[in-house]
Amino acid sequence: MASMNMGMAVNNALALEMERDPNVFLLGEDVGLPGGVLGVTAGLQARFGEKRVLDTPISESAIIGAAVGAAACGLRPVAELMFVDFIGVCLDQLFNQAAKMRYMFGGKAKIPMVLRTCCGAGIGAAAQHSQSLEAWFMHIPGLKVVMPSTPYDAKGLLISAIRDDNPVVFLENKVLYQIEGEVPDEPYTIPIGEADIKREGGDVTMVATGQMVMRALAVAEKMAGEGVSVEVLDPRSLSPLDEEAILKSVKKTHRLVIVHEEVKFAGSGAEIAATVAEKAFDYLDAPVLRVAAPFCPVPFSSKLEAEFVPSEEKITGAVKTVMEG
Amino acid sequence: MRFKKKDLVRLYRNLVRARKFDQAAIRLLGEGKFTSFFHAAYGGEAPGVGGTTFLRQDDYIYAHHRGHGIPHAAGKGADLFSFMAEHCGKITGSCKGITGFHACDPEYGMLGAGGTIGSAFPVSVGWGLAAQKAGKGQVAVCFFGDSSAGRGTMHEGMNMAANWRLPVVWVCENNGMGQFVPIKDAYPLEDIASMAAAYGMPGVVVDGQDVVAVAEAVMAAVERARKGKGPSLVECKCLRFRPHVEGAPDWVHAEVRPAEEIERLKKRDPVTLYRKKLLKQGILTEKELEKIDGEIDAEVQEMERFCETGAYPDPSILQNALYAD
Ligand SMILES: Cc1ncc(C[n+]2csc(CCOP(=O)(O)OP(=O)(O)O)c2C)c(N)n1
Ligand SMILES: [Mg+2]
Repeated sequence: MASMNMGMAVNNALALEMERDPNVFLLGEDVGLPGGVLGVTAGLQARFGEKRVLDTPISESAIIGAAVGAAACGLRPVAELMFVDFIGVCLDQLFNQAAKMRYMFGGKAKIPMVLRTCCGAGIGAAAQHSQSLEAWFMHIPGLKVVMPSTPYDAKGLLISAIRDDNPVVFLENKVLYQIEGEVPDEPYTIPIGEADIKREGGDVTMVATGQMVMRALAVAEKMAGEGVSVEVLDPRSLSPLDEEAILKSVKKTHRLVIVHEEVKFAGSGAEIAATVAEKAFDYLDAPVLRVAAPFCPVPFSSKLEAEFVPSEEKITGAVKTVMEG
Repeated sequence: MRFKKKDLVRLYRNLVRARKFDQAAIRLLGEGKFTSFFHAAYGGEAPGVGGTTFLRQDDYIYAHHRGHGIPHAAGKGADLFSFMAEHCGKITGSCKGITGFHACDPEYGMLGAGGTIGSAFPVSVGWGLAAQKAGKGQVAVCFFGDSSAGRGTMHEGMNMAANWRLPVVWVCENNGMGQFVPIKDAYPLEDIASMAAAYGMPGVVVDGQDVVAVAEAVMAAVERARKGKGPSLVECKCLRFRPHVEGAPDWVHAEVRPAEEIERLKKRDPVTLYRKKLLKQGILTEKELEKIDGEIDAEVQEMERFCETGAYPDPSILQNALYAD
């Protein structure tokens, strides 16, 4: 057991899998000796060599496409996209190639690749380096979409993602790189598609992802002081989505608040809310509420950015509203 | 283009403005007044200044991210005060504090710039198309880094512009580095300019530390483009004296660039080189140079006051920010 942040947990998972399986290799911009722009892959090239940790030019289509091609030949590439915002410049390789190959070719192809990238606002990086685009990936059949909220989950989920025979998009929230948690030394897996109850409660279910899990837990703690018991559920993977766990929790609490950092309109919360409306409508005592970003790109000025990211205040307000409902 | 004395003086003034505003930006970031990050141009100001000073006000430019476009804006005559205030997240900023670090001043042909490397190429094709259609002899000058040439958009943009003989000039600011990776590890070729041959356009290499050499080469390409003879590529071999981004380690791979090396590079400081030339050719005296420097120091002080006194934007400004009416 060691205390580490999410970046270190990811690094640890990569090292363990590279040690275990010679087919695992990394590629991306600056991922070699510098360890990537935020240092997540530090030390891996020195340890595993240049053939297994490849520095690429600024060529995102070729980074993802090369991962797709290598995966189709039986390797297990882990490609790094510096920021999720850059997916726009290379999306074809992911959604038309990686995601569809197995299906299009009658099951004859297999694409065991991982695309790691970081997302989220909060560091003053503005419109093109701060986005949360989970829903884009969720909307593509054939991809798995994973989003850890703790170092522990990151390690177990990444190991599962690398061993998975399908393309997995692995979304790391950059604010979480600064937050430490306990992580066991040995390798372990967390099944993709299994939610985790981060705090048990009986009055309100709060489904939260990424950085929002922390805020949800802080609100739950505060509300406990006011006699409201909030259950915090982290889906951990958005596709496949653990509907069963969400429905089970809602059937217990009868109230649902969804918190995410993406824009609210057509965000991942819309899918979760619709699922609950379809399958647990009769259990609800109040309308489902979503706390999410407004429908605009991430603004720069710190006050504007703070207003953009769902605050504890707004989350608390939503909990109080559903309690009245 | 033959430069007269007043042209050479203007070039000096713009170069020093670029230098001093860039230095001010480094300082303001250190003081916490710039609220995000800054990619200093220090040492590499000449391509931006030399490539823009003699353009027409209605020519379009796509600024490179070195100095976040300060050298380019300084050369073009755009408003540097509001650009600096933008970095402070103030409502007096050129984009009301919403964008943070992308230069935009439409009156001076700066229609904005992007944070995704390589997005400059296709957009510049569009400006070239508009210029061709308008038939007023405008050009579009697109500035980009050596590593940006790794993006596939460069091929698409250069091919299209050449095929349609658009009035576009491609200016590569080759400082030998892309973040932490030296260019020699990213391309099999020595010169980006040699890629021009693939599109049947002229490609030249110039000393990017020599602001006059840059201006001459770019203006020759501009004149060619104005005559309807199509695009050219000018590669400026230049330097950077600071890390890729302020605050990050100044690495080549993961080795810190030694102080002695930076000192060696500083022997080719574009401002010092140009001062010497002006003195030697008897164009300006020491005293006249100092007078210009002093005027720009005063302008920088005024700029800082402008940044200081501006208010922060209220989140309500986001409501109408997204769509045109
Ligand atoms: C599509 C995309 N990929 C990667 C980045 C991250 N990035 C920003 S600047 C940079 C290096 C650019 O190098 P170069 O084009 O040579 O310009 P320089 O910074 O050296 O002036 C990288 C990799 C980005 N902003 N956009
Ligand atoms: Mg460069």
